[in-house]
Amino acid sequence: MSPSNIVFAIILVVALGFFTRSAQRLNRWLKIGRDENRTDHPDVRTKNLLLIGLAQTKILRDPIGGMMHALVFWGFCILALGTVEILIQGLYTPFTWDLLLPRFLYLPYVVSQELFAVFVLIPVAYLLYRRLVIKPARFSGDPVHGGDAVFILSMIATLMVTLLIIFAADLRTGASPDGRIVSSLLLPLFGGLTPESAHTVSRVSWWIHAVLILYFLNHLPGSKHLHVLTSLINVWFSNTSGPGRLGAMRPMDLEAEDAEQFGASDVEHLSWKNLLDGYSCTECGRCTAVCPANITGKLLSPRMIVVNTRARLTEKASTLDAIGVGGTATAEQQAVLDKNLLDDWITEEELWACTSCRACVQECPVSIDQLDIINELRRDLVLMESRFPEELQPALTSLERNGSPWAFSASDRAQWAEGMDIPTMAELVERGEKADILFWVGCMGSFDDRSKKITVAFARILQAANVRFAILGQEETCHGDPARRMGNEYLYQMLAKGVIETLDGYAVKTIVTFCPHCFHQMGNEFPDLGGNYEVIHHTEYIERLLADGRVPLDTEHGERLKVAYHDSCYLGRYNDIYDAPRTALKRALPIMELVEPPRTKDRGLCCGAGGGRMWMEENVGKRVNVERSEELLATGADQIAVACPFCMTMITDGVTGAGSTVPVLDISEVIAARLIPGGVTA
Amino acid sequence: MKIAVCIKRVPVMEVKFVITADGTRVEETGLKYDINDFDLWAIEAGLQLKEKHNNVGEVVVISLGPDTAQEQIRKAMAMGADRGILLKTDSAPADGLAIARALAAELKDGGYDLVLFGRIAIDSMNQMTGPMVAELLDLPCVTNVFKLEITGATARAERALEGASEVVEFPLPALLTIDDGMNKERLPSLKGIMAAKKKPLEIKAAQFSDVRVTITKMALPADRAAARILGDSSAAVPELIRLLQTEAKVL
Amino acid sequence: MANVLVFAEVRGGELRKVAYEAVTAARALAELSGGGSVHAVLAGGAGIDAKAEALAQYGADSVLVLEHAGFTQYNPEALAATLAQRLESGTYAYGLFSATSQGRDLSPRVAAKLGVGLAADLTGLAVTEGAVVGQHFQNNGKVIATLTLTGSPAVVSVRPAAFQPVVNARALATEAITSATDPMASRVKTVELKQGSADKLDLNDAPVIVAGGRGLKAPEHFALCDDLAAAFGNAAVGATRAVTDEGWRPHSDQIGQTGRNVSPDLYIAVGISGAIQHLAGMRTSKVIVAINKDKDAPIFKISDYGIVGDVFEVMPVLTEAVRKAKAEG
Repeated sequence: MSPSNIVFAIILVVALGFFTRSAQRLNRWLKIGRDENRTDHPDVRTKNLLLIGLAQTKILRDPIGGMMHALVFWGFCILALGTVEILIQGLYTPFTWDLLLPRFLYLPYVVSQELFAVFVLIPVAYLLYRRLVIKPARFSGDPVHGGDAVFILSMIATLMVTLLIIFAADLRTGASPDGRIVSSLLLPLFGGLTPESAHTVSRVSWWIHAVLILYFLNHLPGSKHLHVLTSLINVWFSNTSGPGRLGAMRPMDLEAEDAEQFGASDVEHLSWKNLLDGYSCTECGRCTAVCPANITGKLLSPRMIVVNTRARLTEKASTLDAIGVGGTATAEQQAVLDKNLLDDWITEEELWACTSCRACVQECPVSIDQLDIINELRRDLVLMESRFPEELQPALTSLERNGSPWAFSASDRAQWAEGMDIPTMAELVERGEKADILFWVGCMGSFDDRSKKITVAFARILQAANVRFAILGQEETCHGDPARRMGNEYLYQMLAKGVIETLDGYAVKTIVTFCPHCFHQMGNEFPDLGGNYEVIHHTEYIERLLADGRVPLDTEHGERLKVAYHDSCYLGRYNDIYDAPRTALKRALPIMELVEPPRTKDRGLCCGAGGGRMWMEENVGKRVNVERSEELLATGADQIAVACPFCMTMITDGVTGAGSTVPVLDISEVIAARLIPGGVTA
Repeated sequence: MKIAVCIKRVPVMEVKFVITADGTRVEETGLKYDINDFDLWAIEAGLQLKEKHNNVGEVVVISLGPDTAQEQIRKAMAMGADRGILLKTDSAPADGLAIARALAAELKDGGYDLVLFGRIAIDSMNQMTGPMVAELLDLPCVTNVFKLEITGATARAERALEGASEVVEFPLPALLTIDDGMNKERLPSLKGIMAAKKKPLEIKAAQFSDVRVTITKMALPADRAAARILGDSSAAVPELIRLLQTEAKVL
Repeated sequence: MANVLVFAEVRGGELRKVAYEAVTAARALAELSGGGSVHAVLAGGAGIDAKAEALAQYGADSVLVLEHAGFTQYNPEALAATLAQRLESGTYAYGLFSATSQGRDLSPRVAAKLGVGLAADLTGLAVTEGAVVGQHFQNNGKVIATLTLTGSPAVVSVRPAAFQPVVNARALATEAITSATDPMASRVKTVELKQGSADKLDLNDAPVIVAGGRGLKAPEHFALCDDLAAAFGNAAVGATRAVTDEGWRPHSDQIGQTGRNVSPDLYIAVGISGAIQHLAGMRTSKVIVAINKDKDAPIFKISDYGIVGDVFEVMPVLTEAVRKAKAEG
């Protein structure tokens, strides 16, 4: 071993030592969070890792920036082999993979290192240019660490440049030119050097490169670029793309005798996975850029929810470390411990601004679940402290008293059905008959006059298709989803269990509903409470009926219309249903032209009613429904189609507010308008 | 401060009531129940007063009603009341004075600085129990209170009249009935609900003396029909005015 | 033959309309039980006796005038004691009050002092075998109970507007009476009467609400609602969420699920379609009038009277008509 090998060995040991200590610390801090099993369904998790992690599918949703990042990422994976070579060279200078690898492997290795040094360097240059010159909006706004990004990018650029210099200088000193497809092009730059000088250049570059790698390794744990180390792990443990039912809120055991904390007010009440999300966030701002609340000027930024969770964890955990086991806290340390994630880092105003539209979750390239943190904090506010916007109280009280977020009488639920000859489940049982499906009307469909027209339209379609269906009538009550979204898990479970009892009483198997919130709740969240049904959204059901030719429709006549379809979040991002409503529209209106607003399908902008926002005031910034309605109107559509009664209310309000007379119709209304009276299908 | 709050279990009103076959009662099957709204504000007022007095003292919830009224007492305790007393009866009389006497008997030796009622029970709509209890206990009484300030042993309150209000002063102990506008009741937190399960709830039999008011018949008012459309222009205004004067009697 | 003692409500030194209604009801009660005398108690500060004449006009055979500085403001304790003392005298079979804030404060005290029953807030009155039989709304007005009240004297209160005052003039006969207790020694002292200013009634106090919706098209058109409210004199102006969201009216004016819950005697919906959020806050109003140009607007479904027309054309005419009716009334 040469003296330089010894020096490097010392540096390496110190660097790895520091890194190990940092890694252990981060791991220890994660354990501040609650325990949670995230190792179920390893197949799905591994698939996520391969697609979202390695194939970078989510980051590629941003075509330019995404491709740049993907190149850097893939480059790093490939160049890691070279990095190992370089670190070994530090201990044993003559080492190259050539010594171990057969020729047919070594040559591709050399080519890959040459190519990816460039493939990384180009995007890094672009990314630096974007940060320093283009400055996209999502990199600012929040108090995030933009300087760190520039520093890291510069560091990566330096690594790539030194790597290429090493390659080229080594050629000058007589290394084999086989496979050196990039550095051979650079060789002329070193033509003026003697082999000795070239060797020196190579060595100096080597040292810069090797030391920088070790520095980089130790820079990561304290910076937002920790994601380099944690994001793949995070993707594997994440549930945002499955396993499990998308968007289903965390189950909560309210009967646990010893439970003293419901929801989260500080980092220890969150799961370790929420904290790992904090480690994995690189503050790219894709979530905030798509957040309807943020876009319209509210305080909420999903990015800051995650960044602040990490900051609070760092603050609290490092203080606990400083105090040590059994140590006594100083007054300042105690003051830090007494703070909370809620209020001190994340405010009520941010939490109540969330429409639970899931756009942030959908967008995050490393599968962070911002919404889960928001929901847990809301739960603490409501369940522990009974703190919520005062206008929510009538809705919560009415849910408790009347089984509906509005104080209407259950006896009025089936008023819309008068004269339509629609049986209730109770009537069917009395007659000894059975229904194929239960039409779950929902509170909007039962009580809101506009929505009642959707109810009637859908019922007429079912009748036209000779579907044997029934309703619950007076026996229907809210399943509590609004309460759950507002954080009131207690009220939710009370209501949901009541509904499950009613449904099971009638041995209901298949439920069709036109409310995406009912659809999601009963289909995706009831199973956690033991309610298992096949729940179908009416757009899919109608689409099946149309495909089977069971609905007598007049598809020949009518004017050519431009129709814009607005995606409901709970149908789209929560349930991946984008095509059924569009196909149904096309089947009913073959001559129409379907136009799409710029934000559509899984990037669709929320109408503003989700997450309990329907029952809250919206006094800050632009109203979400106005933003969305303007966008829909800008398509030049003659009609706007929706598939959710809440979207209906919000978009109708927005369209009317804009002074427009463009009709807003539910898919079922569009179809029902084409029914042939008394028609029989072929 | 030691505060008693008298509350009532009442049906949730957003239903179509059904009259029993004998025509003297409202069918109870299918009804849901909650604390009377005005009593919720009385509870809230009591809790806020206790909190203002550094949580020194006690808020005791008293209800006269069926065994199931324990649910409402538990809810009041979930909101923060310290303990509860149920004066149990399977059939409370329609006579407000008989109820007032039963409540007064319980309150008499309680040593309360303040006894709070809701202004009116939305089921019986009697609006008399509070002042009757005050009379029976010889307590100063202020009804329809929507503002309250307590300074030592005296207090100042504002009571609602139709389109006006009165400011009154009175010494403690006293009995108040709480009106709309006094506060907005808190919703019990789950933490409160858990804690309420462990709070003391005493059950006693309610005692009624002579009853002079009885309900001899129950009926439903005529259904509200959809709007009578009077016209499509200002030509309909005279008819509207006439109907408001003679039929609706609101002008 | 049964005599009735009726309490005539005074506010700020003036008789209220309910006092005439009460005297009318007392007159009816006296006739129902075979014809008796109606004695009205009129309490107030100096000069209150001047109001006795009006009570005689509506059928009071005798006006018992309780004039003392201690009654300038409402004095529940001394009034209750005095009324109880009168009713205990054996002269009266019935004590009758208005079911107003004052009457519903006073009548239970009197009944409790006497140890007799009270039938409150009656909308109808009859006498069967000496017992008072009356109708009384229960369950938020959703059921009507018929109450039977036995014993003597029987104390009742009658719902405002249930008995329209009927002139039934008697020769004025007054009798000065004294308070049963020292009116200055009452523990509960009314120190101030705050008369609601007619032009700025709170939504929850106002017997009439004029509410505007998006059909008014622009904030300045709310003047139409303000004018109509002013014509009523006892009305407040409210708005829908769409309107307060637009900033046309302050948020405190919002009626609906996320705003105020109201149930006035008369609700006039102007250019309001009737979204679920709005209906949730006003559907318990006693009488609802809707003016809207869309005949399919849900508001008509819960209204009593509707005009399917242009609010800009209807409102000025309605305002003028109300002003005229008020001036005549």
